[in-house]
Order: sequence, then C-alpha cells, then structure tokens
Amino acid sequence: MREPALRVFAGEYNEASHVLKGEMEKTPSYVITPLGAKANRLFIVGVLTDVENVAQEGEMWRAHISDPTGIYSIYAGQYQSGPAAFLSQAETPSYVAVVGKARAYEPEEGTIFVSVRPEMIKEVDAILRDYWIVETCRHTYARMEAMKEAIGMNPPSVYKLKELGYPQLTAEGVVEALSVYKDVDVEHYQFLISEALSHFESGKIEYVKELGEAEKKILEIVKQCEGDEGALWDEIVDNGEKGGLERNLVEEALAALMDRGIVYEPILGKLKTA
Amino acid sequence: MVYAESRKLATGSKSIQFLLRKILSILKLLRGIFKHLLGITICAKQVAVRTLEGQKPRRLSMFVPCFMPYTSSKILYLLAHFNVNKMSEDLGTVVDEIMNAVGSAASKEDVEGNLKKFIEYGVPVEQAKQAVIKKYGGIGFSSSGEKKLGSVEPNDKRLGLLGKIVAVEEREVDVKGEKKRIFRGLIGDETAVLSFTAWKDFGLEQDDVVRIKNAYAGEWGGQPRLNFSEWTEVEKTDDSIDLVKRKAQHYTVIDLKPGLSNVEVRVKLLTMEERDVNVGDESKKVYTGLMGDKTGKIRYTSWSNFDVKEGDVVEIKGAYTKSWRGTPQLVFDENAKVGKLDEVMPVEMVGKEKISIYKIVEAGGGVDLNIEGVIIEVQAGSGLIYRCPKCRRAIRDGVCVIDGEVEGIPDLRIKAVVDDGTGAVNAIFDRNTTEKLTGKTLGGYEKMAVQSGEVPAVARKTDIGEVKGSTVGAEEMKEGVVENDIKNLLVAHPVHVVGNALSDDYGVTVIVQDADIVTPAIQEERDKILAKMEAMK
Repeated sequence: MREPALRVFAGEYNEASHVLKGEMEKTPSYVITPLGAKANRLFIVGVLTDVENVAQEGEMWRAHISDPTGIYSIYAGQYQSGPAAFLSQAETPSYVAVVGKARAYEPEEGTIFVSVRPEMIKEVDAILRDYWIVETCRHTYARMEAMKEAIGMNPPSVYKLKELGYPQLTAEGVVEALSVYKDVDVEHYQFLISEALSHFESGKIEYVKELGEAEKKILEIVKQCEGDEGALWDEIVDNGEKGGLERNLVEEALAALMDRGIVYEPILGKLKTA
Repeated sequence: MVYAESRKLATGSKSIQFLLRKILSILKLLRGIFKHLLGITICAKQVAVRTLEGQKPRRLSMFVPCFMPYTSSKILYLLAHFNVNKMSEDLGTVVDEIMNAVGSAASKEDVEGNLKKFIEYGVPVEQAKQAVIKKYGGIGFSSSGEKKLGSVEPNDKRLGLLGKIVAVEEREVDVKGEKKRIFRGLIGDETAVLSFTAWKDFGLEQDDVVRIKNAYAGEWGGQPRLNFSEWTEVEKTDDSIDLVKRKAQHYTVIDLKPGLSNVEVRVKLLTMEERDVNVGDESKKVYTGLMGDKTGKIRYTSWSNFDVKEGDVVEIKGAYTKSWRGTPQLVFDENAKVGKLDEVMPVEMVGKEKISIYKIVEAGGGVDLNIEGVIIEVQAGSGLIYRCPKCRRAIRDGVCVIDGEVEGIPDLRIKAVVDDGTGAVNAIFDRNTTEKLTGKTLGGYEKMAVQSGEVPAVARKTDIGEVKGSTVGAEEMKEGVVENDIKNLLVAHPVHVVGNALSDDYGVTVIVQDADIVTPAIQEERDKILAKMEAMK
C-alpha cells in the first residue's frame, strides 16, 4: 500500500527524535513526531532559501525550505537525479513543492537529526504555498484532537481511536508518540498553528483572490479576440479595463496565464490560447 | 603468541565447563531422588561466563544447586498423589464426561486408567481429560467442549463450534507465489455471527448447519475471525439454529467495507434491475443496482423481493458486505428487514460529500466517489498515447500486443497519484478529464509532440496539415514534451476528482469520470481553523 504524504510543519517535524524502523525488508520506516505524525513520506511547500553541494566528491545537494514555523532540511544525491538537477540550478528565494521520504540520521545513540530525501521537487506559486499552510494547519489540528483523545484513554488504544473516526496511521502515530515521548505538550502545537496562520494577516489573500478572478476574465477576453491570428496585447488590456480590471492587474494575470502555458505568444505582441 | 595463549585459556574454560556439566548431571540425578523424599528442589540457573576468546560474553548453562521449599500447591499435589483412592471418586464425573465424548471407542476402565496416569504425571485435570478424549476419539470435544460464537475471542485455539453458514464465497489468493483457493464467509449461532476463512474446500454451502472441531480464531477489524485449516473437521448436521437477532450496526455508505455483517443503512435506491439466476436447479429472482447516501454510493444485491422500487429511500437492517470486482458490495436476503422511509433524499445529494482518501483505501474501493487531494506524482505512461483501433489497448511502436501492427488512434491519459495527506490513490484520467485539467486539447498536444520531433506526423494523418509528411524517426513515441508539460501544469496542484475506485495488488485506483483544479479557498479554510481553535480554548 502506498504511504500517504503527510502534511507536517517543520516546527513539528524537527522535534522528532523517534524512528520506527521497518523490521523486515520492504517494510517501511517512519519518523514519529511528538504530536504523533507517523511519517514515511511528506508533502512540503515552502520557500527555498539556500542550496549547497555538501559532498566532498560528486553530488549531494542540501537545501533548506522555510515554512512559517521552521526550516526543513532536504538532501538529494545521485540517486535523486531529478531533484538534484533541479536544486543545482534553483534560484533562491523561490516557492517550491517537495514530495519526499522522511529520513533520520543518528550520529550517536540518542541524537537524531531528521531530514527529507526528495522524490520530486518543482517550483510553484504563492497560491499553492498558502494552500499548503492552511492544509497543514488542518492536519496538525486533527493530530492535536487525536492526541487529546489518546491522552484521555487508559491505556491509549489504536482501535478506540479508529472507532472515533481517526485514520489508522494517525491512530498508530499518536499511540506510538505517547509511548516514547514524555509529557506531550499539545498546547505548543496550538501555538504553532496560530504562528502559521499569522502569515495571512498581511492582506495577501485579497490580492490572490483578485488575481484568480482576473485570470478567468482575461482568458475569456483572449478567447473572444484571438481569431486565427491571435489577440493583440493592447486590445486585451483595453477590454480588460472596460471589464473593470486595472491595467497592472491585467498584465499580472496575463503573465500568470502565460507562465502556466494556458496562453502563449506565437508572434510578438499577439496572444493565443493553447 | 598472545593469540596462542588466549586460545589455551579459552580451551581451559571449556574443560572447566565440561567438568561442571558432569557434576551437574549427577546433581540432577540426585534431585530426582531427593524430590519426593525431602521436599526440596534444585534449580537451574544460567550464568554468563566471559571467555577470553574474542572477549564476547557467552552464556553457559550451569546448574547451581540451591534449595527451595515446596510451594503449598506442590505439597497438596503430593498428598493427593498418596491418596489415589480418594481421587478416583472425584474423577468419576470426569470419566463420565469422557465416556460421553468417545462413545463406544473405549471401555470405562481404560479411560479411568489413562486419566489417572495423566494425573499422576502432574497434568491438570482439564488437560488430562482432553488428552484422553483425543486418544480414543481423535476428536477432542464433547458437546460441553463447544463454545458459543459470542464467547470466541481472538487467539482461541482448538475451538469446537456449532453454527450456521450465513454466507460463503470462493476466493483465489496468492500464498507464497502459489495460487490457493480459499473460502470466506460468515457463520452464526444464537449468540453471534462471525466471519471465517476456510483454507481448504469443506463443501460449505449457505444455510448448512455444521459442527466444527479444531478451528482457531484470529483477529480482523477488531473482531474475532475464525480459521478452518487443514486440521479442522467439519461435519454437516441436522440441527437447527436460530440466528442471533443482535442489534444491527448502523453505517454510512462510505464506511462499508467488505466482510461486515448485520449492517444497517439508510439509503436511496438509485437504480434497480431484476435478473434471473440459477441457484442449483432453482431459478431465482435477484435485484441488483446502485444505492447511496450523501457519503457515497455502493452496488447492492437483494436475494428477495421487498416491494421497493427505484427512487425509494429505504432503511435496510441485517445486510452484509462482500468484495465484488474490487469494490465493496451490500447484500441482503429474506433474513434482512427493508422498510420504506418518508425521508427526502434528492439524487443530486447522493455521494456528494467529499471523502477522506484513507476511507477509500480502507474500504478498498467505491462508486462515484468525491475526493479532493494534491496530484503528487504524474507517472510514466501519461500524456500522448496511441491505442489499438480494435481493442483500445495502448500500443507501443505501432504494435498492439493482441492485434499486431495497427494504425494507432491518438489519445490522452494521465496516470497520477492523488494524495490528501490521509491516504493516497492512483488516479487514471481519460482524454476529457486530461483536457479539462490541462486546458489543452489532444490536437494541441499532438502538434507539440510533432514540433518537438518526438512523434512522426504520420501517426495521425489528419488535422496536422502543415507538418504532414514529416519524416521523423520510427513510429514510436518517447516520453517527453507532453508528459513533461502535464507534470509542469498539474504536479503539486489540488484537484477535485469524481470516479469509481477499485483495489488490486498495487493499491486503490480511481477511474476518473470528472475532475477540476481546485481553486483554494484559503481565507475560508483559515477562518474555519481559527473558529475551531477558539472553541478549543
């Protein structure tokens, strides 16, 4: 069965100091966080802040991805050719999405450093980053609730948590976390979530919403005007302004549509839908 | 030199060990003699001896003599041992029980003699009884050794049961690479209905009442599940059993997974078809179709006419579920109760609730599911493909595995992994949904492939006028521009998907019927979380 890609904030993931190793070949390993995320695979969207080749010889790219609560470390070597190639040319700062495997490095007994080995990495836009933050808040909150339930049980039971409607993986993770971490501080994660949500206080969302709507309108305009030759840039902007859109918003929207390949420019100054 | 010395020492320790063993075997002998006379025992202790060789601690078994007073129960045992006559009176009832179980297979004297022998050896009475029964009957259970299904617990072994087969179906499974036929079903008595797996063909049929000996119980979904193995005996009987009328368990449709019994659902009958099937020599009418509530839809089979019709909202009590073609199915027969409800459930509400992916993975499939997740992977084989005009299979290099060399019909598809953080499913998007998600057309992608030199224009002779007759390479298509374009457009994006899900060895796959890119409602989501957090304080 494919392991789901968990949504976990760096602030929670980096606190993990427990690993469940797969006992047999092909049984998966998991990093267990104090709040009970049982992570074999992760999905992360954040800001790529720096990239460095840390190998003495050959390639081992280390990159840091920042989210509102902390920083993820990711490592890509020769066996992660796609991600390694991406990182070798990546610009910083930029928004990236990563799907990767949870890894743990244990330099000595009792000390564990967690990181992520990417399977996929690509550049994304701010909307997807914001979406990831709210999604991760939601998942963190669900783990908080499961953890509270489990703390109230004597003893904590995977079966009972499942009966309450929690997924198997959440139930197992929470029960495992309670057995290995002393005094799980659930309140701390409430703080983590509010920290993440404070990211949105700056009024960015209004803008994002506007842009999304502008894109739809502009796409309609291009379709109306394009004919066989393509629509003139100025014509689109004029029509956009008639439709109540500001000039720079029209241009932003057009650029965004072109970035995604929905609109292209076969001849300079003329635009067509793909 | 150092090495040789340590070798010598190591050998030395070995001979000491040998000596100790000798002494201990004598002690052991003495222990046997002393045991009854003195009421003392000598116990064994394991001592770790560090040898020089390799400096690794080794565990050597050594007996260290020590004296332990007998516990009171052992003293009692000894007393009983010396008073055999008194004991035989108490054993009278046990002997009778054994005689009931073995019938004429043994004389009472033999049974009594054997039983005493076991007890003299210190075997507890209950175990001794079972041992004697086994010795004469081979069948270890009298009627009193039978358990009611309601009291069966996971890990019970050597179970004797009397039950009625409620349902049974044949399955083929892989056991260490070998195909094996097994039988799954439900067995019930007055106290419970449990699921079972028969690992060989016992010829079980629905409504058989069977006496089962030497079954064992495992656990599945938190309930005991019975296993009938190579060593289990199954015998049909004429007993009649009134199946338990326990309270039906209410489920929403999405939570129905194969192997549930006594299920209660409140659903709308979306479709209904009447069919004739042959059961043995009899012709029987069955009613099949699709039903659902707001959480999802499920296929059903009714073995009885309940006088309900398409569009009715009904309550069904006492149904069970099984797996049919990779998805769960609800089955009910004359033992079930079906009643019409006055409730209104508009068709467009049925199955419209968004479902967490883990639920689909746990149920192993479903019909007309609504899911929302992120495309975290677009797999090889996605993009522009060519299909055989005869069998619709995807072809490679212009050759179909079934129909040989054919002129392929271009098509689009995406094989992706959709993941919502609780679970992951494979999703297969067809041309329509691919075009909808990417905002591009098949024609557009063909142009893209031809222009990049990855696909020859002759692969499709129409629609690509200006590049017609291009002489690029052999008639094959590399993964490339189209697949990459799809990856760029879709990976990491949230999508809303509607489709049927089924499971196989590789997990659960959703055959997508409709799909949209989700425009994240970030503000609303954020407000929802804030409201929850407020409530938590």
